[in-house]
Formats: sequence, C-alpha cells, structure tokens
Amino acid sequence: MLQYWTAILTEATIFGILALGIDMIWGWAGDFDLSAYAYFALGVYMTMVLTIGKPTSPVEYILGYRLPYLFAVAIAVVVVVCFASIIGAIALRSLREVYFSITTLGAVWAIYYLVENFTPLFNGYNGVYGLFDPMGGGLSYAAYHYFFFAGCLLVLFAVYLVVQRLSRSPFGRMVRAVRDDERAASVYGRNVFWAKYRTYLFGAGLAGLSGGLFAAYIGAFNPLDWKPTEIFVLYAAILVGGRGNPRGVIAGSFIVYVGFVEMTRYIPSPAARPELGPALRQILIGLLIILMLKFRPSGIFPERLGTDGTEPKRSFRTLFRRPTRDSDPDPLMDEDSISETVPQ
Amino acid sequence: MTQRPLLEIKGIAKSFGGVVAVADCTMSIHEGTVVGLIGPNGAGKSSVIDLVSGFERPDRGSVIFDGVELIGKRPDQISRLGLIRTFQTPREWRDMSVIDNVRVGRSELEREGVWRSLVSAGRHHDLERRETEEVRALMTHYRLDEVRNHRAVGLSGGQKRLLEFARIAAAKPRLTILDEPMGGVNPVLGERIGEAIRELKRAGSTVVVVEHNLPFIEKTCDEVVVMDLGTVIAQGPFSELRDNKRVVDAYLGNDDE
Repeated sequence: MLQYWTAILTEATIFGILALGIDMIWGWAGDFDLSAYAYFALGVYMTMVLTIGKPTSPVEYILGYRLPYLFAVAIAVVVVVCFASIIGAIALRSLREVYFSITTLGAVWAIYYLVENFTPLFNGYNGVYGLFDPMGGGLSYAAYHYFFFAGCLLVLFAVYLVVQRLSRSPFGRMVRAVRDDERAASVYGRNVFWAKYRTYLFGAGLAGLSGGLFAAYIGAFNPLDWKPTEIFVLYAAILVGGRGNPRGVIAGSFIVYVGFVEMTRYIPSPAARPELGPALRQILIGLLIILMLKFRPSGIFPERLGTDGTEPKRSFRTLFRRPTRDSDPDPLMDEDSISETVPQ
Repeated sequence: MTQRPLLEIKGIAKSFGGVVAVADCTMSIHEGTVVGLIGPNGAGKSSVIDLVSGFERPDRGSVIFDGVELIGKRPDQISRLGLIRTFQTPREWRDMSVIDNVRVGRSELEREGVWRSLVSAGRHHDLERRETEEVRALMTHYRLDEVRNHRAVGLSGGQKRLLEFARIAAAKPRLTILDEPMGGVNPVLGERIGEAIRELKRAGSTVVVVEHNLPFIEKTCDEVVVMDLGTVIAQGPFSELRDNKRVVDAYLGNDDE
C-alpha cells in the first residue's frame, strides 16, 4: 500500500512540474496553449532513446544511446525547447486567444500522428520501453521508488523556488502586463512577442523536464500514454489551485491527481461495462472545472497581487472566503468627485 | 521658433480600403509646449496618433522624433525613444494591483531579463525600496493611496484616468500624447486632469492633447492644431484660431450640433 501511494504521489509531483510550466504560459502570459503534452511526451521519448541503448529488431527508434540519466534529461530539455521555439514562433507571432489555441492544438495532433505512424522515430504506436535505473543500481526495488519520489519532490521544490522568484520579479510583472493589455504594454516599451515567447519557451522547458522524470517513472511509453486531450486534467489542476499562483498550481496538481484521477479508480464498474469507471472520471473532472469556474474562478490560492507590503496579512480564514472579484463594488470609490467613464 | 521641433510629421497619409483616414498631414510639435489637437469626429486625429505611435503604418510620409525616423518602428521601440500615448478608454493592466501598474510604467526594462530576474533579484533590495517609495509618492499625489494594493480593474472610471497619469509620470516620457483624456470625466476631476497635464509639462514632457472639450483646450494648451478631413487646416494659439474662417466652418461653427 505504501508503495502504491508513493507511486501516485510521484506521479502528482511530476505533473506538478508540468502544471507549473503550463501555468507560466497560460496563467502569466495568458496564452491557452494546448501543445504542452507534446513537449512532455517529447521529453519522455528523448530521455528514453538516450538512455535505453540500441533497439533490437523489430523495435526501431532513433539514437539509441546509453547516456547517464541526468545528462539525457538535460539534452531532452534542450531538444524540447528548440522544438517549442519553432511552434511558439509560428503561433505567437500574430495569433492570440482561440486562434493561438487552435494552432497549438493542430501542432500537438500533427506530432501525435507522426509519432504514432512513423515507426523509425519512436517505434510507432508500440512505443519505446526499456529498463534503466537513474540511481545507478544498488538499491532494492522498494527503496528505489522511495528515493525516486524524494528526488522528484526535490526537483519540484527547486522548480517552485525558481518559478516563484520569477513570478515576483520585474519579469513576472512585465509578462502579466502583457497578458492584461498588450497595447498598453507596448506603449510602455515592452516587446509583446518577445515577452510571450520567452515565457513560452520556459514553460516548454519545464514540460520537457517533467517528461524526463516521467520517463524514469514509467519505463515504457507509447502514444496511448499521452492522448493530447489529457491536458485538460492539467488545466483543471491549475484552475483548482489558482491560476498564476505557483503554490496554488502545485496544490491543485496534488488535489486533482490524488483526489480525482486516482480516487475515481475505485469507482466500481459493472463487469459488462468496464468503460464506465474511466468515463465517470472524465465526467467528474469536467464537473470539477465547471464548479470551480462558477464558484471560485481564481482558485483556492488566487494569484498574488504585487503590493508595497503594507496590506493586512492574509489569515488562514480568507482561504475559505470567496475572493472579491471584478464585479464587486470598490468601497473606496470616490463617487462625489469621480464619475464613471463612458467608453467612446 | 528656431529650435528643431521635437516631433515633425511630414505629409503622412493613410487609407483603409477606400476610406481616406489621413490625407496629407504635416505638423510640428516643439519641445516644452502643450499642443491641443482638435477637429470634428472623423477628422483623422486618432489615426494620426496611431501612425505616430507605430500602431499603424502610413502609406507615405515620415515622422521624425528628435531626429529619429519613427516609420517602420514597432510601438515598443518608439516608446523606448521617450514617446508615450494613451487611448480613448483607460487601458489599465486589470488583474495587477494599482501599485504594480505604476511600477511597470516606471520602466524596469533593464531588469526584466529572465536571467537577471532570477540571479540578481536579491541584489536590488535597496533599489526596489527606493522605487517603492517613489511609486507611493505618486499614489498619494494622484489620490490612489487608499486603493494602491487593490486590483486595478476595481477602480472607478475617474480613478483609472488618474492611474493613467500616475503611470505616465512614473515613465517620465519626453512626449506624451493623450487621446481624449476628458472622455466621460466630470468637471471636478477635469480640473485635476488639467493640473496633471501642467505637471507633466513642468516635469519636462511635451504634451499633445486630443480633445473635444474646447474650453479645456483653451485653458490647458499653448497652441492648437486643427484637423479636418484628414489634413491640418490651421495651427496657432487658440485666440487666433477663433477668427479663422476655415476653422469656424469645419469645427467651431458646428460646435452646438
């Protein structure tokens, strides 16, 4: 049982890193990207073909090296970022909102079908598999899993520190200004494309990194493992935790992966309808997204406002209070001297 | 005036399909002045601003800002030369706090690199504290002190106008172009906005104001440029233009329409 929970928490940790990457692209820069799963998958494939050695017929894939694990992950991240730089350049140049999303959706499906049908790349729909031990052997099976989980947690914590620091830096402020109003941001000297592009590449790099970790976790990977539509589970995690708030995104990943994806495995399926359980899981996740959007659109941990540090400290209780949102009247509005602006 | 103008617009023209927005527009703006740009609706005032600030590219003509050709440059490049414009409706960064709106306005460009943000973030504590003090002084000055840590989207229309001025004051531009700063503003706040424009001038910025409110233009501006049908039909002090027949026909005569 302990091993089972370790496996689930490892998975949640890895997807937490992926969610942090997606949140940079969507939460900070405002681009609803749908191709992040391709970057994640590419990270997995690259890490595997760089570590599991030459393929034996009839299995075929590119490269087939036996590099040290960490080195392979680093190369995988670089490859993913290079790849994302092409898709990002096309999609971000002049497309926004739904047009951007459609372009990235097209990209992820094109990659998906290419990987599935062009077997010399990653062995088509049979996928790539092979045993490799990131810890270099010498550990028992159980101990290995505990150590690997600890390693993933450590990486997640390091990524969190970096992302959190960026989030509150001048860079984080600038990217959010671009998100909220591109024209105003360019009036104040910001290159909109460059701001979004850098954020996109950083997010894709995190997706590649999470893929590198997942490769060691799963040991075998084929197109059935990365249906591009699975990305909505990650968006659910970001929505639940709090878009734009790194701490919230990590919390959301654990809530969704442990609470929904795993717990719903226990939903009993009648023997005649084995597909009922998985289908119910999708329905529950859809319901979760709708309920969050309806009742708490900014998530459990809403995006932190940049302040001058003089605001009253948030107490634990405010977590359970509905945050004041756009429609709430501002008590400090000075109606006597200031009138509403009528758009021209 | 003998000195070189800060902004020189020479024969720019722009058509959208068959519609001529700007026909042949030429004007000079001298450093240290507040210039009103007036004209009836559809005269091409806003189009000229879009052409100067890089949001549209003219079909022909040139725009020289302090000796530099602006045509072909992106809006952000033009802004970094020291030119800031506003839009007819306030464009605050809605989901950021009021104080962060002003922080971003106060250019942090040199510290916005990913690497610098990551590695040297801690080294700027003193600088950031000084900046925060400056920004807070601006908040007080523009009566935004009490809402400074609130989301900008919650501000009233008038507060958004003041936030726009606080942001410009933080950015310290050489040329400010205001597109209808008095739109939907009541007389009391109008006074404050007039004062804000004079403050910009005192701080060393040249100001161009597009406005329909003629008493406001008369009170605030040193000089007025009148446009009609995409061209400049007159330029000079407001008192002189009152008697200019073309201006009266085009605009002032129809003031009560």
